[in-house]
Amino acid sequence: MITRIINFIQHHLVQKLVLSDFYQEGNVVKILKLLTLLIVVGAGVVTTVMYSGIVNVAADEPHSDFVYWLLEETREKSIKVAAQDIEVPDLSDPELLLTGGTDYEHMCSSCHLKPGQSESDMSLGLYPTPPNLSVSDDSHKGHEHGDETQAAQKNFWVIKHGIKASGMPAWGKTHSDQRIWAMVAFIKRLPTLTPEQYQIITADE
Amino acid sequence: MKKLSKLFLTSILAIGLISSAHAHDPKMHKKKAEKADCSKMDHSKMDMKDPVVIAMMKKCMKQAKASAKKVDHSKMDHSKMKSMSNHKQNGDDHKNH
Repeated sequence: MITRIINFIQHHLVQKLVLSDFYQEGNVVKILKLLTLLIVVGAGVVTTVMYSGIVNVAADEPHSDFVYWLLEETREKSIKVAAQDIEVPDLSDPELLLTGGTDYEHMCSSCHLKPGQSESDMSLGLYPTPPNLSVSDDSHKGHEHGDETQAAQKNFWVIKHGIKASGMPAWGKTHSDQRIWAMVAFIKRLPTLTPEQYQIITADE
Repeated sequence: MKKLSKLFLTSILAIGLISSAHAHDPKMHKKKAEKADCSKMDHSKMDMKDPVVIAMMKKCMKQAKASAKKVDHSKMDHSKMKSMSNHKQNGDDHKNH
């Protein structure tokens, strides 16, 4: 695809430019000067923004709607593409619920909550807000879930690789794929659990 | 020399006291293992083919087995016990041990 684009530019645009009247040494020099100026100005702006400290990185100061939308769309599309080829195993084994449930209670519930819980210190303090996985997909909008397979692929990828600068760790560094799939299986059933069912399944003993 | 020895001993003592403040057992931070509360299982509403129900049953059966094993009947001296008929009359039940 990239090769085709480069060939297109070479054969069509460059040749047209070379053969056209526009191609005179003076014009080309002007263009090169303009491009150089733009690059220098751009680098200057970026450096100023970086080192001036004017960018507000506080988690309790939300982005503007436009910036939030930009970051959210980029994130969701990136995860969708990265996860699309993941093969989802059979997630119906009850044993997966027990393993995944215990891990969810210890590793995830403080941010992603549990049945009957609407907020926690972590869910209130983190930005972007971690999705409440204890409620159904319709109840926590803001990102795509797709069908069941896509949702499982996405959840597996996110748990394994984490998300940069979001507070979501890459659990794949310390947990096997099998253990992560168990968490995916549990998260799939989590919105259907009552607090009593959750307590039994996630208990250590 | 005496002053130096005193200073040395005092330093050793101080270092020991300071380090002991950080040398607490990491197990103190360990969350206490939570037990499943199987008393709240409503069997009447359960679909025994549901993986959630099966998982809960597995957990509770495992807990029940573990509780049964904790009772060491081998050390009970049955010769000094009243007859089993008396046990039944008194409503005595091994579950109460």
